[in-house]
Amino acid sequence: MQVMTDLFARVFGDGLSPLGLLIAGGLTMALIMALVMASCAIVFTWAERKVAGFIQSRYGPMRVGRWHGVLQPVADMVKILGKEDIVPQDADKPLFLLAPFVIFVGSLMAWAAIPFAPGFIAADLDLGLFYIFAVSSAATIGILMAGWASNNKWSLYGAARGAAQAVSYEIPLALACIPVVMITGSLNMNDIVIAQQGGIWRWHFLHDPFLFVAFLLYFVASIAEVNRGPFDLPETESELVAGYHTEYTGMRFAFFFLAEYANLFLVSCIATAVFLGGWQPLFGPVFLPGLVFVIKAVLLVLLQMWLRWTLPRLRVDQLMHVCWKVMVPLALVCVLGAGIWMLATGQAG
Amino acid sequence: MSETAIGRGWGGQDVRRELHSELLEINMGPQHPATHGVLRLLVRTDGEIVHGVTAHIGYLHRCAEKIAEGCDWRQWMVYTDRFDYLAPINMNFGYAVAVERMLGVRVPERAEHIRVICAELQRIASHLIAIGTFGLDMGAWTPLLYCFREREEILNILERLTGGRMLYNYFDIGGLRFDAYDGFERDVLAFVNIMEQKIPEYDTLLSYNKIFIERTADVGVIDLATCLAYGCTGPVLRGAGVPFDCRKDDPYSIYDRFEFDIPYGEGEQGTVGDCWDRYMVRMREMYESCRIIRQAVDALPGGPVKAEDLKKLVKVPQGSLYTRTESSKGEIGYHVFADGGSKPFRTKVRSPSFSNLHVIEKVGPGMMLSDLVATVGSLDIVLGEIDR
Amino acid sequence: MEATAIHALLQSRFGDAVSDYVDGFEKGSLVAAGRVAEIAAFLRDDPALGFESLMCLTGLDWDGYDASGKGKSVDILGYDELGRPQASDRVGDGDLGVAYALYSHRHGHKHTLFVRVTRAAPEVASTAAVWPTAAWHEREAWDLVGIRFTGHPDLKRILLDEGWEGHPLRKDYVMPGAWQGVPLDGRDYAACKWDESGVTLPDDVKRPEGPQQPEGTQQPESGNQG
Repeated sequence: MQVMTDLFARVFGDGLSPLGLLIAGGLTMALIMALVMASCAIVFTWAERKVAGFIQSRYGPMRVGRWHGVLQPVADMVKILGKEDIVPQDADKPLFLLAPFVIFVGSLMAWAAIPFAPGFIAADLDLGLFYIFAVSSAATIGILMAGWASNNKWSLYGAARGAAQAVSYEIPLALACIPVVMITGSLNMNDIVIAQQGGIWRWHFLHDPFLFVAFLLYFVASIAEVNRGPFDLPETESELVAGYHTEYTGMRFAFFFLAEYANLFLVSCIATAVFLGGWQPLFGPVFLPGLVFVIKAVLLVLLQMWLRWTLPRLRVDQLMHVCWKVMVPLALVCVLGAGIWMLATGQAG
Repeated sequence: MSETAIGRGWGGQDVRRELHSELLEINMGPQHPATHGVLRLLVRTDGEIVHGVTAHIGYLHRCAEKIAEGCDWRQWMVYTDRFDYLAPINMNFGYAVAVERMLGVRVPERAEHIRVICAELQRIASHLIAIGTFGLDMGAWTPLLYCFREREEILNILERLTGGRMLYNYFDIGGLRFDAYDGFERDVLAFVNIMEQKIPEYDTLLSYNKIFIERTADVGVIDLATCLAYGCTGPVLRGAGVPFDCRKDDPYSIYDRFEFDIPYGEGEQGTVGDCWDRYMVRMREMYESCRIIRQAVDALPGGPVKAEDLKKLVKVPQGSLYTRTESSKGEIGYHVFADGGSKPFRTKVRSPSFSNLHVIEKVGPGMMLSDLVATVGSLDIVLGEIDR
Repeated sequence: MEATAIHALLQSRFGDAVSDYVDGFEKGSLVAAGRVAEIAAFLRDDPALGFESLMCLTGLDWDGYDASGKGKSVDILGYDELGRPQASDRVGDGDLGVAYALYSHRHGHKHTLFVRVTRAAPEVASTAAVWPTAAWHEREAWDLVGIRFTGHPDLKRILLDEGWEGHPLRKDYVMPGAWQGVPLDGRDYAACKWDESGVTLPDDVKRPEGPQQPEGTQQPESGNQG
């Protein structure tokens, strides 16, 4: 937000009080974040369909828009906006209407602490990482609301599974980030990224073997958090039709979709910031930091898409088994191991 | 509720009597992405564990057996296509063999060879769908598209041959309706070459994938006694560990001239008779079908394709006969009753999926909901032949 | 084992219940309807016979079958000039029956059991306890031909809707003129009157005689729409 407030200060000079600058800067950043969120949904729907197509030995969208169907998401948006807004008869109306927004807001709030570029961060919190994890859990409430309020047994199944999965996988997710916090000594996202300056060998995921494993754990846990890939049981088509968002149509369904892709990009951004050096380049001085950050995050997103279209999905008890019996112990081992490594190499101060 | 719920991964789970709870009755179907047709499974579950399954069928019932009483013998062949619409040639084959046995007519050699080639091509096409949709039920979207890529080749050949892509009406009592086109053998051999290279691709992508094995090994075990009691045939029976196949046990047409093996389940990844075994039986059967096709094409003679001494209006002498042939789903049987007239008196179609589906009511209780989907997928049912 | 030997074994064991030897394209025995279950159990359990597999259970209406070997097939698909399917004018007076096609995997032999029952009392002992697969096949025979299987665990319609009246595969079956308000005989909707209470059909719409369902038919199951 610093960039924004500086910009407003330069434009308006002394015309705005510090509070006014704060509000103006904050609102602009919020707007930009919301736009980023919306546009990433648009871009990633197209990317997903193309990736899926090429993996499946076919083309994907080709007609809408001159080149490889680039305007397909626009067509999808227009179609979705034109749909009738149906609320099932015996659905719990307030919860039903509110659920998509809860999920959306839970995701949007977490974007406030993502460091895209030096100074280009909506809220430079000292609690950055902790705040992100805390706030993105709010989406689980939205899932439960959607599943319950739909008055549909299949949605209830999807919601129950989704909530169990989301809550369980937050543990390895957070545990995997703790070694990084130990190394940096701070939860502030900017500090975490700045600590990785100096080329690829200073990035956290190559810091020591335990951190590499922690990165992999984080990546797998993040796929489970966003209900994607081999962990998409809550919304599995072959069993539950569409899980907790079966009964949603039109714009409300679009919100679920938006939130899913935004979440996907969010966890990739967190992984980039925490493990892959954020806006730090591979080597040399800082150059186009925002672009570097986005490229790294997009590569992770493409990797997640690749996994989704290749692997079958896990059953719910296998999912829980992997989380509690494999990933949590492994994450704890990583924490311990990273700490010992730090002591041994004399980095602990 | 005072029962002990037993499920995989949960261990024995005692229900405390003072805690009042009910089983959740939930409908899978008739419209559902995973029930392979219009099938309604009424499932009673306790959370994720299934306590009872009841299958409701009849949504696709068209009473073809009554229609048979109004058509003559040759005309009813077109209705047999509509039973298993994913393997119509096998349905045609069974009916043709049934009537020809009662008539005592000899089918010309060329027709027999082309029949076998078409039937085996159809078996491969049907198994491709079975494998692809099974993977889809497990969440693997990609193998389905690969399977359809190969199936497209088969459908192209059959379209050039018969004029239809999905429903062929190609076989006739006493032979075929018309001869194969020039270049049929070349196309078939080209396809078989491609197919034998692609099967390892499916193995890499799906068969030995760790997640797939976790989802299907030791899941939905149907042992041999249950199979025989419930009349399961085809890959379901062979998955239970025995090489029972109508082409070897009860040879019809010219199958006794060809050399091929019958794959059966051996519990390679889990227990004998689990979903993985049934899936693997289908994969291996595709290899065997390729072998048969090569031998049939090598031996394909010239000559007529229709029996010479058969009148246009066929009259079958009085009597009854049950004839069974091996379709891709199992044993398709036609119990034909003829009264000497020009129309069938009673043709009962014994479809393999009818009995295969029945077994889900026995095997369902005790498994998890996801396993139920996997087991129904591994049975490979087609509602067209269940409901007729 | 040869079919004649199987027949002789059955006769020696069950006496009168096993009557004629059927020698046609398929070999089999004509057995008494009430004792089919015992005979089936013997066929399955005897080691020399070992018929563990019921391949097919066919219910049928024998009416018109053995009229001197030249039966007259029933023409049910004629249409009149208004496009209405014509009713069969045959009065049903033949027997109903069941045919069981059996196979032994162990020995490789086949046998077929034939059962005949009168139209007035179409009851056959159920073999569902011997071959569990028979449960569904017998439901289908009940559904389409109207043969009641005594001792069946759950005899209700399987292919047709539970409220259907009539048994289609009988030779004297008359298709109803309407079902749940929808005319089935080629008439268009304009001939019916629609109001709040439902559909009033014209008087000359044909209906089959009386309800033809077993007593104690189960109500459709209460599966909530999930």
